[in-house]
Amino acid sequence: MKKYLIVITALTVLGVMSCTKDITRFNRETKAPAEVPAETLFSNGVRNLADVLTSANVNTNIFRYVVQHWASTTYQDEPNYNFGVRNIPQNWWIAMYRNVLADLKESKRLISETEPGVISEATLRNQAAIVDLMEVYTYANLVNTFGNVPYTESNDIDNVFPMYDDARSIYDDLFVRLDQDIAALDPSAEGFDGPADLIYHGDVGKWVKFANSLKIRLAMTIADVDASKARAAFESADAGAFTSSDDDAVFQYLATTPNTNPIWVDLVQSGRADMVAGAPLLNVLTDLDDPRRDDFFEPNNSGNWVGGKLGSNNTYAETARPSDKVEAADAPSPLLNYTEIEFYRAEAAERGFTVSGSAQEHYNNAITASIIDWGGTASEATAYLAQPEVNYNTAAGDWKQKIGVQKWIALYNRPATGWLEIRRLDFPKLNPPADPDSGFPNRFPYPANEQTLNPDNYTSAAEAIGGDVVETKIFWDVF
Amino acid sequence: MRKFASLCAVLLLCHVLAYAQTKTVTGQVRDSKGDPVPFANITVKGTNTGASADVNGNFSIQVAEGQTLVISSASFAEQEVVVGTSNTITVNLEQQGALQEVVVTALGVRRAKNTLPYAAQQVRGDDVTNVRQTNVGSALSGKVSGLEIRQGNSIGGSTNIVIRGTKSLTNTNQALFVIDGVPIDNSNTNTANQMTGRGGYDYGNAAADINPDNIESINVLKGAAASALYGSRAANGVIMITTKKGRKGLGVTINTGLIHGAIDKDTYAKYQSEYGAGYDITGYSNAADGSPNEAFWFFDANGDGVRDLVVPTSEDASYGYKFDPNLLVYHWDAFDPTSPNYRKPRPWVAAANTPEKFFEKTWSTNNSIQLDGGGDKGTYRLGYTRSDEDGILPNSNVLKNIINFAATYEMTSNLTASASASYSKIEGRGRYGTGYDGLNVNQHFRQWYQRNMDILEQKDAYFRTRQNITWNWRDPSTPEGTRPIYTDNFYFMRHESYENDSRDRIFGNVSLNYKLTDWLSFMGRISIDRYDEIQEERIAVGSVDPSQYSRFNRSFQELNYDLMGNVDKDLNEDFNLKGLLGLNMRRTEIKSVFNVTNGGLVVPGLYSLANSLNPISSPVEVDAPTAVDGYFAGATLTYRDFLSLDGTFRRDRSSTLPDGNNAYNYYSVSGSWLFSHHLQNQPWLTHGKLRANYAEVGNSAPWGRTADSYDKPDPFGNATLFSLPVSKNNDQLVPERTLSKEIGLEVAFLRNRVGFDASYYITNTKNQLIPVAVSSATGYGSKFLNAGDVENKGIELTVFGSPVRNSNFSWDITLNWTRNRNKVLALYGESRNLQIASFQGGVSINATLGQPYGTIQGRTWVFHDNGEKIVGSNGRYLQSVATNNVIGNINPDWVGGIYNTFKYKNISLGFLIDVRHGGDVFSLDLYYGLATGLYPETVALNDLGNPSRDPVSAGGGVIMPGVTADGKPNDIRVENDFGTFGYARNPAAAFVYDASYVKLREANITYSFPSTLIDKIKFINGIDFSIIGRNLWIIHKNLPYADPEENLSAGNAQGYQSGAYPTVRQIGANLRIKF
Repeated sequence: MKKYLIVITALTVLGVMSCTKDITRFNRETKAPAEVPAETLFSNGVRNLADVLTSANVNTNIFRYVVQHWASTTYQDEPNYNFGVRNIPQNWWIAMYRNVLADLKESKRLISETEPGVISEATLRNQAAIVDLMEVYTYANLVNTFGNVPYTESNDIDNVFPMYDDARSIYDDLFVRLDQDIAALDPSAEGFDGPADLIYHGDVGKWVKFANSLKIRLAMTIADVDASKARAAFESADAGAFTSSDDDAVFQYLATTPNTNPIWVDLVQSGRADMVAGAPLLNVLTDLDDPRRDDFFEPNNSGNWVGGKLGSNNTYAETARPSDKVEAADAPSPLLNYTEIEFYRAEAAERGFTVSGSAQEHYNNAITASIIDWGGTASEATAYLAQPEVNYNTAAGDWKQKIGVQKWIALYNRPATGWLEIRRLDFPKLNPPADPDSGFPNRFPYPANEQTLNPDNYTSAAEAIGGDVVETKIFWDVF
Repeated sequence: MRKFASLCAVLLLCHVLAYAQTKTVTGQVRDSKGDPVPFANITVKGTNTGASADVNGNFSIQVAEGQTLVISSASFAEQEVVVGTSNTITVNLEQQGALQEVVVTALGVRRAKNTLPYAAQQVRGDDVTNVRQTNVGSALSGKVSGLEIRQGNSIGGSTNIVIRGTKSLTNTNQALFVIDGVPIDNSNTNTANQMTGRGGYDYGNAAADINPDNIESINVLKGAAASALYGSRAANGVIMITTKKGRKGLGVTINTGLIHGAIDKDTYAKYQSEYGAGYDITGYSNAADGSPNEAFWFFDANGDGVRDLVVPTSEDASYGYKFDPNLLVYHWDAFDPTSPNYRKPRPWVAAANTPEKFFEKTWSTNNSIQLDGGGDKGTYRLGYTRSDEDGILPNSNVLKNIINFAATYEMTSNLTASASASYSKIEGRGRYGTGYDGLNVNQHFRQWYQRNMDILEQKDAYFRTRQNITWNWRDPSTPEGTRPIYTDNFYFMRHESYENDSRDRIFGNVSLNYKLTDWLSFMGRISIDRYDEIQEERIAVGSVDPSQYSRFNRSFQELNYDLMGNVDKDLNEDFNLKGLLGLNMRRTEIKSVFNVTNGGLVVPGLYSLANSLNPISSPVEVDAPTAVDGYFAGATLTYRDFLSLDGTFRRDRSSTLPDGNNAYNYYSVSGSWLFSHHLQNQPWLTHGKLRANYAEVGNSAPWGRTADSYDKPDPFGNATLFSLPVSKNNDQLVPERTLSKEIGLEVAFLRNRVGFDASYYITNTKNQLIPVAVSSATGYGSKFLNAGDVENKGIELTVFGSPVRNSNFSWDITLNWTRNRNKVLALYGESRNLQIASFQGGVSINATLGQPYGTIQGRTWVFHDNGEKIVGSNGRYLQSVATNNVIGNINPDWVGGIYNTFKYKNISLGFLIDVRHGGDVFSLDLYYGLATGLYPETVALNDLGNPSRDPVSAGGGVIMPGVTADGKPNDIRVENDFGTFGYARNPAAAFVYDASYVKLREANITYSFPSTLIDKIKFINGIDFSIIGRNLWIIHKNLPYADPEENLSAGNAQGYQSGAYPTVRQIGANLRIKF
């Protein structure tokens, strides 16, 4: 009997003793790191940015329909501007703030906490500036998509009700940051390691060019609303910006999953066949004998170049569709390229900004670079440019129309940028889809869950921009 | 199994030999008025020998002199009679009610219900098993007040069991299961995507491993006062299960049952029969190209060089061309070389067989054998249960094997050792795909479907070829386009892209009880609950989605070390003190690994990680140990059996909270007054008790919420990637608190012919430990913090009565009724809303400040001042800009159940009507299915009496009920085309339905073979034959084409259906033989 009591007592004592040890040790995460290198977060942020900008997923990136480069055979919600049923604005917002900016900001924080040593102070400065450039790029996209957005209070988990900043003041600050970044970048020192820098593979000099080119994009974006500021910014950046397609900021996808081009995932791997060439673009390509037509698309089953109607039924077999080049698993995805910058230079010349070369030269450079980027030749480009409908001197309309139409073509498969430029240049004039839910979308409505998760700030922002509807124009969109 | 049966035979033989020297005693059982009591149970004390009285109370039994007979019958106090020399005995039983029974309370303490100061409702094991329901949770539906049970219709799916309302905003609200004093894990491994309708399987919850045949009784402890001794996990109430125990002698019970299932067609889609494939009747070909009909594709389908009309196979909607038997077109099978219709046209008609035919009739078996016995020193019990259940989908099955063993042994006169163990193995194959996902056949059948497609022809195509011959060809005009675009052949999908899973579990404990004196005893116990599970999912090569194989291995282990001292002492003539003092150490560890192939499979049909096309992605590993150390004390002071005062205290220290904040206390105070004690000369009042209690319990955080770590995506080439996690953790967490107040009244009248038990409670759950969803502009999806206060107030009522009770016939009714009102009193900061889940269809489930937990939010109509819906200039409804309108509420107004039992001679009939009144459900099935033109509503005649799908120009079209902006009745006739009745043209609010139902949940008719017959077969003590039915009839519902109770999974995100499965009506037979 006593033996049992002894056993019980002994077990109890053991139990009580083990109770007194540090019990919180159980709560330690042993399968995931609490510390990681700063560059890994930068790489991930850049990758996520490339993914969402490239994607053709109907839940996020539907701008190919908005700019009418593509049409749908069957599902006409998005071509008809219904963005609500799939929560598309919310997905875009999450992609930018949570998948891109969060990692970029964390990367920057870790860089700032790194004591110079193995990594030199100049390298750390370069790294911080490069991360900042990608942040500027992303915020500009958010403003261009929504208007007023959280900026000064964004990406701070200690403030879960971030205020929305005025879109224009965000742009003002982005210019300041770009100037700081350009000043901070030192091409003689190193940036990120080659493998971690998924855009320029460690070439800081290229990042300097990127910074200036991005400044040009921002400058030209506000040119209608603040010409003098745009002019100053453009002129200060022109010399340092891209000088050839070798400078392009390109995200190169890989041939194997899960690092393939998202379009391959959306169209080839998924087996879908509902995304087809939009007739508005395809018809222009055909009319202009554009050498890029068979790089952009492939013909229908009968070998004919028939585009799809926007917003109503199309038959896959009878409609041209994205080309193998577009659908390739390892297709590159440009974030900013020489073609765009040359179009901006052409536009700057038309706006009377100081720029070397004429509008026509830059226009020709832009189109030539685009044709060659897509696999064409210089002679094809020359022949193309020689046509009266393309020739800058004889093409229809004013400079906005000439540049607008050609830029719209050149920005094929660059859906977000294509949407930005068509809103800014107001050309080409697109016909509404068959059964639109609204007028032309000048912006996305705010994410549905901002109404519930950040209600007061949402309400103020919606009022400030003049109503949370797609027709409301972004501050720079004055025409 | 065969060995086991022969063992039984040997044991039975011993049993017969052991009781040879007995005599036959006959007698009658009567009540206090002298009327016979029918069907009383008579057992020889300490043995399994027993008999039943007949309708006239007469019995006969083999017994030896000096042995004691125990006579029991429902509603009567048990009585013992020692057998003397006489061969006849008359027994007079004293009537009593359910209120006087002995119930098992927290930590296994047994006490008389009439002194219990809190709400507890007991259910007999027989009431759980009488319809052979294999899931204990599901079997409780409608049988206990305060309990709300929701169960989906998928095979082996999870059961949502919530007591007294949703308390925790985002953590589990599921009741704790406790078996013989030891908590048993009831986790659910369903993914967040599965629970929010984004695909995946419902793997059920782990309490499905409990063997119903081993249950003696279930006691539901509803409030915190009753459960405070269990500590934090009991904040949601406790389902206490007491298992059957061995008795002296030998008893064997065999159950064998066969159950047939078929879908309840009222809960499935009805289809229109007038229009076929297409989103429109133009655009599929071009008259300019010579096409005679633009509703069809136009290309050479039979190789003769002439173009033909072809069904647009890629179009998964039925807003196409009107059926016309004289029109010959090429269907999907014209492109299947193995089909008799290869290259042949067929008439354009509605399919003879709709998806209803896809669902199979099922046969399931449920067999068990339980034997128990013992001698002077100890008892044992051993059982085996096997249930083999087929699902309504092809290739679906859940097989359960459970072995249980329990034994006690008196080592000395005051030291008893006990042990119990159960081993279970649950194997699932082909569980149903759920939610908005291609692997859920109902996503297609109910949402995206062609009415011209005959489901049985798809069946033939699959079994003919074993290939993915789909109706949904991408572009059959070319060989490379002859592959599925969105939808696999459903039979291919079910037979090739299936999952399988299994869970092996050991649950058991060993304990020592030492009785120091007659009023003081000690108990030490070690218990273990451990299981390993594996879930393997496949997507076959040739499917629409990339081929894939994934495996998820998870192990769970919990060890509990308990030491308890028990006091039971009469302090003097008036006062009795019961007390306990204890220690509990709990150690839990969950480990899991998830692996998935990358980029597809190399060899078709080989499901292994090594068969991955590209190097497999990084595994997802979890190792989550938790520890809780607690000590507790409880005391009950009773004054002369009519006043009692309870107090409990517990202090826990939890590993999941930060140091300094991780110890917290629970306490409860409760009292009861048996006022009928003072009214003993009132003949109408049999029993009356008033009770009141107050309790505060704490709760700790889930594992791993106090420190941050990074996520690791797959590397991009040579670039290593890390990412911030979606949820931000917090090192400042403090324990969550639940405050609970309750009063209750139990009364029985007229010698227990009628009575009730009512409770009113208020609980507040404050300082909740929750991952608060935050604006993504913070860089995170959620932040873990303490916030929120949810109040639940409710009334529970159990009414029982026996309208008829005479010697031949009795009728008993039990009614359970629960009304819970909950309200979100506080959230965090300025927030007025917390999103619980967001769903496809633009709706979300929310906790909104000042509203009940579980509001459904989404777009609604724009209403005119006169209350009518406004129609825009295009004749379609205007929709609100705001997406956060409250358009529904998932909480029912009340739930209830009525259980009736009729007994006539040897036949008993029981049936349960289960009611839910109120509460809403959003149907994605109607949201899409009405848009794609599947349902009869989309072809109804219009106000002119013409087919509404005719063009407006031809007198067709519809006028949406409402007003124009100026308030005048809408008279704009619009085309009835894609989306007219469904999504896009109508706000989410149009697809919110009342989820009320009245169900005939279960019924059983049992015939007990009369004792006169049984007595002739020596070693058989009873034979019962039952006809049983489950989910027999939905008497009333408001949700069309579906079961309002159908859900995706257990969990907090209820009130949403996508790809809903129909109810399975089950009818079967069971034979129970007692030896």
